[in-house]
Amino acid sequence: MNDVEKSEAGRFSELHLELQDWLAGYADGELDDHHTALVEAHLAGCEACRADVARQQVMSRRFQEVPTTRMPFDLQKRLDKALADAPEYSDPAPRTTSRFNLRQWLTGLYRPAVVGTGGWVVALVLAGVLLLPDVGLRSHDHIRMVSDALADYQKVAVTDLPALANTADISAPAKLAGGRLLATWHTTVGGEPAQAFAMRRGNSLVIQYRISEHVLFRNPDVRQAMATMGGYRTHEKQLEVLAVPMKEAGLLIVGPANAMPATSDLDLEPT
Amino acid sequence: MRKARSKQQFDALTRPWRDRLFGVALRQTQSREVAEDWTQEALLRGWRDFAQLTDQVAVYAWLLKILNRVVADDVRRNARRDQLAPMLTTGDAFLQEQACTSAGPFEQTVQTQSNEQFMKAVQALPDNFRQVVLLRDVEGLNYQEVGEVLDIAQGTVMSRLSRGRRLLASLLIRTESADGLAATSIHGGKPT
Ligand SMILES: [Zn+2]
Repeated sequence: MNDVEKSEAGRFSELHLELQDWLAGYADGELDDHHTALVEAHLAGCEACRADVARQQVMSRRFQEVPTTRMPFDLQKRLDKALADAPEYSDPAPRTTSRFNLRQWLTGLYRPAVVGTGGWVVALVLAGVLLLPDVGLRSHDHIRMVSDALADYQKVAVTDLPALANTADISAPAKLAGGRLLATWHTTVGGEPAQAFAMRRGNSLVIQYRISEHVLFRNPDVRQAMATMGGYRTHEKQLEVLAVPMKEAGLLIVGPANAMPATSDLDLEPT
Repeated sequence: MRKARSKQQFDALTRPWRDRLFGVALRQTQSREVAEDWTQEALLRGWRDFAQLTDQVAVYAWLLKILNRVVADDVRRNARRDQLAPMLTTGDAFLQEQACTSAGPFEQTVQTQSNEQFMKAVQALPDNFRQVVLLRDVEGLNYQEVGEVLDIAQGTVMSRLSRGRRLLASLLIRTESADGLAATSIHGGKPT
């Protein structure tokens, strides 16, 4: 063997060893064109590797003849029962949900609202809200304006923001620093007409409700709080509700606690 | 209202895979009971994490990944892995030697063995290799899916598959060449 032959033999055995780990990929057709060609060139001159590929294919075929296991019937029944008894994750763990398909379902959910109202901005603002755990309303049943406002807030958060016709002419009752008006609509709070103003504040959705004075002062607890602290504040999990009097009207502000204004900071509309 | 994905949906998607899931579990333990527990645990975890299942992921690969975690957790807890110590190593010298065995006789070897014998040889593979071989050749996953299930790169899938099958071939050949006593020695459960 001369030197040239020796070095060629060396290269061959080097490649031979290197390709050992590629042969499955070749046998399974998982290699790209480049590597397929590389392996084929080697196979043409290497009987050992050809045999290896053939054996791999023989074994893969042999596996297909092994019958699949059937689950015993009582295991089927046991699984049915375990699943039936499993808790309903009806409000899927927010953090994990959002990571996977938040964008997808938001796009679907907010298509009407997205048009002309800042697109993704709206969607993302609402996302902040939707990631809050389900807000139960039971403890506020006795203050109807609060439960009504919370219900309206949530309804909006899971359906659509009504379109905002002309932002320029409209302003919310309370100016919130850094807040931007997104939409307004008419609703009912405490059995009487009210107007809602949805605002983006930071990454949160804050909704103000202009309600009637009559509704605002209906509850004695609220009246007491107004008299002593200038406003009534309550919360349901992460959502906070603030009620303050305005001239001949009332104002409810609903939003995540961290996006809510301090009562003393409120800059109410001039009347 | 935002509607969570329902149990019916989960059931419809996963029920067709139950048998296979159980089969995979069964191949990783000697105990039927343990395999049943793993299957149930995997299914319940799947239900818990159902919201994470996206359209881009094949349901079966997703379930297998969960099962794989269930098994790994359990095996870690019980140090069961020790019982599955490799019997053979992939030595290059050995592979070279075996490489000369041509496919014809090898196919015969494989065909004459019963399913039990064949699968027994598979069980003798070291964990890492066996998992990849089974996911690919029995469960029919592609390399990308196998990689996702086991959390390894596709290149690793390919190399483990290459080595695992080679090892399996050598086990099958050894069995065959054991003085015609192949069947008894395998059934005798003395894999030396
Ligand atoms: Zn070669």
